[in-house]
Amino acid sequence: MSDQTQPDKAFSRVMINLLKGVIYAEEEPKLWQQLLNLQARVRDYAKQIGLSLEISEEEGFAWLKTIDEQEEGEEMPRLISRRQLSYPVSLLLALLRRRLAEHDATSSDNRLILSKNDVIEMITTFLPSGSNEVKIVNQVESYLKKIADMGFIRYLRSDKDTIEVRRILKVFIDAQWLNEFDLRIKEYLLSGRGAEDE
Amino acid sequence: MSLAYSDLLQLFKFHPGWRLLRADNAPLILSFLDKTFIEPNVRTISQSDLIARLEDTLYELHQSQNTEHYPRSASAYLEEWAHDSKGWLRKYYPDDSDEPHFDLTPATEKVIGWLESLSGHAFIGTESRLMTIFELLRQMVIGTETDEATRIEALEAEKAHIDRQIEAIRNGEMPLLDETALRERFMQFSTMSNDLRSDFRAVEENFRKLDLQVREKIALFEGSKGELLEEVFGERDAITDSDQGRSFKTFWDFLMSPSSQEEFSELLEKVFSMDCIRISKPDGRLKRIHFDWLEAGEKTQRTVASLSQQLRRYLDNQAYLENKRIMSILDTISQGALKVKHSMPKNRTFMTLDKISPEIQLIMERPLYKPTAKVDLSSVIREANEEVFDSEALFNQIYIDRAELEANIRRELQTVSQITLSALIEKYPLHKGLAELLCYVSIASAGKLSVFDEENEESVCWEDSKGRLRKAMLPRIIFNRS
Repeated sequence: MSDQTQPDKAFSRVMINLLKGVIYAEEEPKLWQQLLNLQARVRDYAKQIGLSLEISEEEGFAWLKTIDEQEEGEEMPRLISRRQLSYPVSLLLALLRRRLAEHDATSSDNRLILSKNDVIEMITTFLPSGSNEVKIVNQVESYLKKIADMGFIRYLRSDKDTIEVRRILKVFIDAQWLNEFDLRIKEYLLSGRGAEDE
Repeated sequence: MSLAYSDLLQLFKFHPGWRLLRADNAPLILSFLDKTFIEPNVRTISQSDLIARLEDTLYELHQSQNTEHYPRSASAYLEEWAHDSKGWLRKYYPDDSDEPHFDLTPATEKVIGWLESLSGHAFIGTESRLMTIFELLRQMVIGTETDEATRIEALEAEKAHIDRQIEAIRNGEMPLLDETALRERFMQFSTMSNDLRSDFRAVEENFRKLDLQVREKIALFEGSKGELLEEVFGERDAITDSDQGRSFKTFWDFLMSPSSQEEFSELLEKVFSMDCIRISKPDGRLKRIHFDWLEAGEKTQRTVASLSQQLRRYLDNQAYLENKRIMSILDTISQGALKVKHSMPKNRTFMTLDKISPEIQLIMERPLYKPTAKVDLSSVIREANEEVFDSEALFNQIYIDRAELEANIRRELQTVSQITLSALIEKYPLHKGLAELLCYVSIASAGKLSVFDEENEESVCWEDSKGRLRKAMLPRIIFNRS
C-alpha cells in the first residue's frame, strides 16, 4: 500500500510547491529530484489547468507558465495573473537584468550579490537629480521591496543591505520584454511628454 | 619583467603586494593574516569568524601596547582589506552560504613569504640546489630526445655509473652524505614543500584568470556559435587542458596515487628519524605536508571543476547570445531613460509582467475579523517581601514540557507493550539535554508501571546546544503498558 501512496505524496508535494512558486535545485535538492522523476505527470496535470511546466536543468530551477495558445478562439481564463509595473520598477528590473548579463560575461560565480549602495548608484543616473538623497534611498528601498515580493531578488539573511539577484530573472526579463520596454519609452518620448526639457 | 622606472612606479602604485608593504598598519595586517591563514593552512573563513579573531587580536594589542593604535572596528578593517582598491583579501559568497567568506589573495601570500625569507636561514645550501638544477636539465634533454641510439646511450651511461657504485660498495667503499649535505637537502626540501603549499592559491587565481579571459573572448566574439565553440574549445577544454590545468592534473594524480603517498610517508618517516635532522628540531608540520597539499589541492580541484562546468553551461544554453542581444537593447533603453529622466512616466502601469507563480486564494481561508485583545500594560512593582520571594523561577530557565514527554511514552505504548527509555529516546531525541532526561526519569519514578532495572545499565546520548555529543549511563528503565 505504501508503494502507492508514496509517489502520490511526492507528486502532490511537487505540484503544490510549483503552484506556490519557483523550485530551486540548490535550495530543495530532494524536491528537485522528485520533480525530475515525476516530470511527465506534472506536465500533464499542469496542462489541464492551462499551465506549462518549464525546467531549466542547467540553471537549476523550475516554474509554471501560462500556455499561450488559444484553442478554437475560446480563450481560457488565466491562472497566473499579470503584474502591473510602474516605470521606475520596470527600469530597475531592466538594470538588474543588465547586471546579471554582465556578471555572466565576466565571472564564474554563479551568484550575483549586490549591496543596496550598488543598486542606488546604478539607478540614480536615471532619476531626476536634485531630489534629496534620503528620498532616493527610501524610493529605491521601496522598489527593491516590490521586486523582492515578485521573487526576483532576495535579501541575504546575514545582512539586510545585501541582495541576491535570483537567476530566474533571466527568464522573465528577456529580450522580448526589454524590446517592449524600449518601445514604450520611445512612444512616451514621441508623445511629447518626456522630451520637454531636452 | 623589466625593472624599468616606469614599470616599477606602476607596481609601486597598483600592485596589491607592494601596496600592502607600504601600508601604515602593515605589521598588524601581515601578522594577523599569517596567523589566521598561512600558519594553520586555512583556505576559507567566514566573515563572522574572521571578525571575531581580528577583534581578539586588536584587543590583545590594545592591552599589551596600552594605546589605541587601531581605533577602527574589526569589520571596518576587513572591509577595507578586501576592497578592490586594496586587494589583500578575497571576499566571496560560497554557493551554500549567505555569509561572505574570505581567503588570502596570492599577492598577500607572496608578501608574507618574502618577509619570512628576510629573516634569513642559518646557511644557504648551494650544493643541493646545483644538483637539482643539473637534474632538471638532464630530464629536459633526455625526456625530449627522439633518437633511439642517443637515448639508449644515456641510459647505458647511467647504468655504468650505477655499476661502478655497486662495485665500490662491494669493495667496502660506501660514500655517505655528510651532515652538512643532509641538513642542506632538508632545508631545501622544507622550503620547496612550503612553497608548493602556498602555490595553490596562485594556481587557483590563474584558473580564475583563465576563465575570465575565455568569458571576455566570448563576450567580444562576432560570428556564429560554431565558430565560437571552435575558437574557445576546439578539441580541448579551455581550462582543464591549459598548461596550468595539465600540470595540476599530473600533480594531483601523482599525489592521489596510494603508492606514491605511501612512499612519500615512508621517506619522510626515515628522514625525520635521522639524528642530524632530529637535532636541528625540524618543523613537525613538515611531516604531514602532503596532507596539507591534499587539502589545498582539493580546494583547487573543486574550483577547476566548477569553472569548467560553468563555462560549458554558459556556452551550452546560448546564454551568451541572449546576453549580447540584451546588452544592445539595454543600451538604447539607457539612452531613452536618460531623456525621460526629468519627466518620468507617472502612470501606475508602465509595463506588465507575468507573476512568477499562480496565486490561489481560497475564499474560505480568509481570516475573519477578530477584535484585537487589549493587553493591560500598566504594571505595578510591588515591594519585595523576603519570605514570599521564590527564586526558583530564575533558575528554571529551560522549560521542559512534561506532558509532551508523557505523550511520547503513551504513543509508543500503543504499538508495543513495553519500551525501554533508551529505545524511546532513540525515537524522540533529546532536545533539551540532561534536564529532559531527568524529566523522563521523574515520570518513570512517579508511574506505577515503570520498572527500574538496577542490574543492567544503559547509555543515552544527545547533542548539547554547542553540538557536542553527551552521554549518560543510567539503570535500565522500562515503561509498561499494563
